[in-house]
Amino acid sequence: MKAAERRASILAVAKVLFADKGFYAVSVDEIARRVGVSPAVLYQHFASKEELYEAVLDSLAAPRETYVEAALDGPDDFASVLHRITRVFIARVEEDPDYIRMELLSALEGGEIAKRFFASRWQSIVDYIEYSLQELAREKRVSAVNERTAALLFQGMVREAIYSKCIINAERYQEISLDKLIGQLLQLFFQAIGYNTAEKA
Amino acid sequence: MSEVNQELDARGLNCPLPILRAKKAIAGMAEGEVLKILATDPGSVKDFEAFCKQTGNELLQSQSAGDGFEFLIRRQ
Repeated sequence: MKAAERRASILAVAKVLFADKGFYAVSVDEIARRVGVSPAVLYQHFASKEELYEAVLDSLAAPRETYVEAALDGPDDFASVLHRITRVFIARVEEDPDYIRMELLSALEGGEIAKRFFASRWQSIVDYIEYSLQELAREKRVSAVNERTAALLFQGMVREAIYSKCIINAERYQEISLDKLIGQLLQLFFQAIGYNTAEKA
Repeated sequence: MSEVNQELDARGLNCPLPILRAKKAIAGMAEGEVLKILATDPGSVKDFEAFCKQTGNELLQSQSAGDGFEFLIRRQ
């Protein structure tokens, strides 16, 4: 087996195990055994279990280029950009819900793993919301809201929509696609923060 | 070394803010002019490569500078 193929099969097996049991309950030995290699071979590809976990997270994320493309491909206003990058985010999650299983388990495991998950997933989108709301507040284009709380509102509603559609498969939301659901939630979000779409002259 | 016509300080900002700022800055520049961008987000190296690919502008330089990165982009 070529090195690239070996690496890909280690990643695939590790992803299934991390999504099933979380970070701490999976050992390097178990991953190596399932792949059919020795732990020494696994360590040739990944220096540590942490590095392997990061690589699995990366493999589940949409490439940065896709986010750049989404950010640039259309109007520059806050609502349009947030909608486009959120769509990239949820499309990738929908493609492989193992991401959300890993997130749920990371939240239960707490500490470093949960922090790492936040940094690799939510951080940039949450920072974008906070920073943009600070700017919009200066231009009086949003209500007086706490931008950090508003970012949490966004994160909570997107995450709950993903749970309902991709993990629980809730009957209540079967008639609506995740993309459409997110679109409606975003509209509610913009109303909640009193976002005024008109640019100040 | 290319002459810099405008500078954008995107230090402390994470994706997508530096690229949105760059897009806005470049839109106000003339063809052939050069924008210098300072950034600290490690992902900005990939981001500005993608930015130039997407917008058709030329990435003249991408290098580490101090605690961050420095990019030179020529408007096409």
